[in-house]
Amino acid sequence: MNDKSTRRQFLDRTGRIIGFTAIGSAAGLLARRASGNAVYQVDPFKCTSCDLCRTSCVLSLSAVKAVNDFEKCGYCMLCPAYMDVNSRPDEKGIPAGKVCPQDALKRRVVGAVDQDDPNNNYYEYVVDETRCDGCGKCVKACKPPAGNGSLRLEIRYTRCVECNECAIQIACPDRAIVSVPAPGMAPMESPVEGKKS
Amino acid sequence: MAVLATGVLFAQYQKKPPDFGGTYSFPTPEHPEPRAAWVHVLDIVMLAAGLGLAAWLILKRRSRPGVLVLSIGAIAYFGFYRRGCICPIGAIQNVTLSLVDPRYMISAGVIVFFFLPLAAALLFGRVFCGGVCPLGAVQDFVLLRPVRVPRRLDRALSWLPYIYLGLAVWFAGWGLHLKIGALQVQWGRRFLICEWDPFIGLFRISGPFHMLAIGAGFILAGMFIGRPYCRWLCPYGGLLAILARVSWKNVSITPDKELDCGLCADACPYGAIRNLRADRASCLACARCYEYCPRELETRGGPGGGDTLVQVKP
Repeated sequence: MNDKSTRRQFLDRTGRIIGFTAIGSAAGLLARRASGNAVYQVDPFKCTSCDLCRTSCVLSLSAVKAVNDFEKCGYCMLCPAYMDVNSRPDEKGIPAGKVCPQDALKRRVVGAVDQDDPNNNYYEYVVDETRCDGCGKCVKACKPPAGNGSLRLEIRYTRCVECNECAIQIACPDRAIVSVPAPGMAPMESPVEGKKS
Repeated sequence: MAVLATGVLFAQYQKKPPDFGGTYSFPTPEHPEPRAAWVHVLDIVMLAAGLGLAAWLILKRRSRPGVLVLSIGAIAYFGFYRRGCICPIGAIQNVTLSLVDPRYMISAGVIVFFFLPLAAALLFGRVFCGGVCPLGAVQDFVLLRPVRVPRRLDRALSWLPYIYLGLAVWFAGWGLHLKIGALQVQWGRRFLICEWDPFIGLFRISGPFHMLAIGAGFILAGMFIGRPYCRWLCPYGGLLAILARVSWKNVSITPDKELDCGLCADACPYGAIRNLRADRASCLACARCYEYCPRELETRGGPGGGDTLVQVKP
């Protein structure tokens, strides 16, 4: 009995040593490849605003939101991302429908306001993140040549729960969800064409 | 009409922001930064503290209420606060993928989450399952009337985790590309464990239908069968079971002298007591058996508790 238990103890100890060595070496091997922190972001050059960001995120309201880059926005009165150009125009000839199904793209008149002619005014377009579900319809409509491409989809880290694997990344047909090192800025230049976003 | 509207639109179209003449300042689009480094460190600290606390509560304090409190903490933090992400079970896939594909970026935190519970299993057995894993804790809480699963069935089913582990590793690293005659299967890399996780739907209070349905199924089954996911499906549990076989310390049901009375075997809802001893590979460290051991109750001050010390001669 005593002999058996020492044998058992010896086997256990050997097993433990092997286990620790395996864990240690595997962890060491991986640690060299580890980046401090990798996060997910949308690559605007690959993104085709296909609507899967809205449906695939594990959150009920997707962590992907449209973001307007004001440095590029034209501040137009007739914004193709704001108004649905295919909808029926009202009596002034302005399309009555909106592109955003959630009515998340808000605008306010800015600059010197011309009260008489709304066509003469400039508008600031801001995405209401509490409503935006990341469907990307506005992003699609804003793409050149119709728009300036100032709207793009972005993973908002205030909402993203940083899953082991991003569910949108699995679903994305364009492989547009990329892993980038923190602080998780989207690539600003296309790897192919070298043009700026 | 549409053509007219488009025409108006292009007439209005601006190629760059207009000159507001100083009456307007451009807002800077805000880009929220990812979680700060200390939040990731906090996750790791919580995991390490949870493992340490679980080992202490189970092996040293031998306290079932303590384990329950720890489980509530695990559900609150790793479950609802961190929404079932980040978890060692899913980390299997991240680790696999980073070993297969050097371009894949893996966070240091994920590596720690994968290896720390494994090291803990070598030292103290499956303490991760017992007190730290929110998936295990959920199943532990819903267990109402455990029924005994036939031993042979239990053994047969406990091979499933390894099949699932193999599938998960294969899909995470390589995906499935098959061509049998006219039948062509093209599945890219995917994280099966995350896609079919039964309980993250609960923690996130949302999810695709199949996930919620599986979760509801496991909770219903878990009312009568002790921890079905942990015992017969969890791939990480399979890994932990292998390592726990040679663990340094493990649950010993009696505090000092063994009685062979068999009360503990009736108490264990997981069928983890073999030959009246806790089986290291399948013991999920829930600490239930202690409450049923006459010797344990004796050391705590009599079967009824309280101060009267009843001497029972074995």
